[in-house]
Amino acid sequence: MSDVVDLAEFRTAFVVEAEELLTTANTSLLDIEKALRAGNKNIRAVRELFRAVHTIKGLSSMVGIEPVVGIAHRLETTLRAADRAGGSLALESIDTLLEGVRAIAKRVRALADGQPVAEAPSELLDRLERLESATPSTARQSGAGALILDAEIAGKLGAQDQAQLLEGLAQGRRALRVDFIPSPLRAEAGSTITSVRARVAKIGDIVKVVPISVPVTADAPGGLKFGLLVVTSESAQALADAVGVDPGMVYSLAAPPAAGILGAVLEAEPEEPSVSRHGVVRVDVERLDDVMERLSTLVVTRFRLSRALAELAAAGADVRALAQIMNENGRQLRDLRAAILRVRMVPVSEVFERVPLLVRGLSRATGKQVRLVIDAGTAEVDKGVAERLFPAVVHLVRNAVDHAFESPDERTRAGKPAEGALTIACFERTNSQLELTISDDGRGIDRKLVADRAHRPLPDSDAALLELLCLPGLSTRDEATMTSGRGMGMDIVKRTVEQLGGELTLQTRVGVGTRFVMHVPVSISIVDAFTFECAAQRFVVPVTMVEEVVDIDPARLVRGPTRRGGEAPRLLERRNETVPVVQLESLFRLGDRGGEARKALVVRRNGEPMAFSVDRMLGQQEVVVRPLEDPLVRVIGISGATDLGDGRPTLVLDLAALSGALSAATLEPAA
Amino acid sequence: MGEILVVDDSKVMREMIIACLRAQPGLSFTQAASGLEAIEKLSLKTFQLVVLDLNMPDIGGIEVLEFVRGQDKLRSLPIIVVTTRGDDASRATALAAGASRFMTKPFTPEKILSEVRELLEQPAGAPR
Repeated sequence: MSDVVDLAEFRTAFVVEAEELLTTANTSLLDIEKALRAGNKNIRAVRELFRAVHTIKGLSSMVGIEPVVGIAHRLETTLRAADRAGGSLALESIDTLLEGVRAIAKRVRALADGQPVAEAPSELLDRLERLESATPSTARQSGAGALILDAEIAGKLGAQDQAQLLEGLAQGRRALRVDFIPSPLRAEAGSTITSVRARVAKIGDIVKVVPISVPVTADAPGGLKFGLLVVTSESAQALADAVGVDPGMVYSLAAPPAAGILGAVLEAEPEEPSVSRHGVVRVDVERLDDVMERLSTLVVTRFRLSRALAELAAAGADVRALAQIMNENGRQLRDLRAAILRVRMVPVSEVFERVPLLVRGLSRATGKQVRLVIDAGTAEVDKGVAERLFPAVVHLVRNAVDHAFESPDERTRAGKPAEGALTIACFERTNSQLELTISDDGRGIDRKLVADRAHRPLPDSDAALLELLCLPGLSTRDEATMTSGRGMGMDIVKRTVEQLGGELTLQTRVGVGTRFVMHVPVSISIVDAFTFECAAQRFVVPVTMVEEVVDIDPARLVRGPTRRGGEAPRLLERRNETVPVVQLESLFRLGDRGGEARKALVVRRNGEPMAFSVDRMLGQQEVVVRPLEDPLVRVIGISGATDLGDGRPTLVLDLAALSGALSAATLEPAA
Repeated sequence: MGEILVVDDSKVMREMIIACLRAQPGLSFTQAASGLEAIEKLSLKTFQLVVLDLNMPDIGGIEVLEFVRGQDKLRSLPIIVVTTRGDDASRATALAAGASRFMTKPFTPEKILSEVRELLEQPAGAPR
């Protein structure tokens, strides 16, 4: 049959997956060695190592890499025996096992490089075959006592599983069970056994997950629940949070004490979370910044090159060959940049790891009960963005617990659950932008209270309310009274988000709750930007910020109503919309351009469009943005500076912030 | 003609299996990267056939089989076990746990295709 696939086509994919598995194998081996040296066993690492090797064997047999199959098979045999013996391995065998993994890695790399794959050395195969796992030992029956297990669970646990649970207890950790019920509704909300498992794996070792049949109900439409058995140093509450269930769904598996187990578990101080990261190299952010800086200089050099090339071409030289090399070089630079940006990415879930502890502390300090749900899925964010954004998240979380949530009594009276629900969610809106939502079901923000306190007119929308909340002056008064629900440091939150080139929005309903939404770029530093000229000065604006570049016909501009103390704004008719036109040169007091502007950049903020007139569009290119971090030179509407290759700094404009400031009329004239 | 659930913790392996089965027109595919995900998906949606790996984290293929065969609505669902462990004991265990067919890796595209075709042609509810 002609349409049958050739599995050899999967060799490239095999290499990628095999390399991941080899990383897991190496990490596991080192973990095992460490445990053995300390006189312990690491049952989980032995099992992971076994599975990695087993998968490599299966895959390499499918794509026909026999030498790898041979080595993996020998490794697997030893490791299966070790796994069955409850994770027992002789310390002396680690070196040989590492050698075996190395031998596989070498052959995978050869395959990746298109080199012939060497036969497995028979001497190594012999040594691997001679490896004997250490004397099998049964589970340590220590003073930690026995386990309480339902019959349906106990029947599905192997001896190794029970050993792992007891081992955990013996090490002073907790052995807990938590149940998760899958449903289409939960799946839609991103909660599947896979995501739950991933979240739980971050705070503990999953010993076993047991599927349990339950009667079909509205809550359990699949007639199924999963019981997760976990060894963890974290609290039962943290486990319940990870699964997104009530703490009542968490049971301790340790037999004694007879009563008040959960209470005791909840009261105990949590130890340092044990987070296992496999195959991860930790790199100082400064080093990454350094790499980025070096790349930036390359980008700038490239600008200079292309200028020189343009000059050559203008002088009549034949630059075709050179231009081709330049193209190639541009592509390589983009690839390099993408590679570096990938290295800088961290999982958003990791960024939020500290939040549960923060909420726990706040909840204790205020006496308010909080149910925290964090769902960051698989979203990733640049380390630099994460570090700037985290304090803003902390502010919002703090505000929610301090101000937004009512006391348990008050909540009960209002017909709400005593526990306040705080949700932090994050997903990738596009491949360059994240949406981060922090919502609570607290008292909501009272517009009138905020307006009174700020001595401003009543805001007519949530957007206007947010502008008020972000007035720097509002914070101190609000903090003291704690009645409006928000205000503390909101100006800082907003500024942080805007400096990142993002946007902060608010939705709130009195009595129902508040939701803050941040749209932030996944990464910063290098952006695609328009360059333009205005009053003989060059500026740069990120492409993502501009909705449209429009032509202006001065004859068709109309005068709007006169504003207090100012010139009447001119309006541009555009697709059934009137767009106010702002002259950048007068805003920045750049002097006269001598003639009417012919182009304008339209930006939209909170749904409101605004056009900034400019003299001339110069082009579109990637620019390296250096944020202006000195608070003394912070100007609304300017987010940073860049070098377009001529050695002179060029300002990067934040037209969105500028339009926001203009429409809120909080911008000092020509600041 | 049918929705196939392909269960394997290796992404490449799942892709290879699907690539093999694409030769059969009318099939659509859902992937599950673990036994847990497989059980979850099976409990919430109807499939015509499952291709199942044995060695997976948390719960392996045998446990998936045992669970599935304990469910009335899934009792006669065709399940092909595909595994690297070709020994007789594994085969016996898998068949005893309720596997419809047992195949060892490496297998050829033709082999898995013919197994799938045969199973799908059986009238629903026929003895496996």
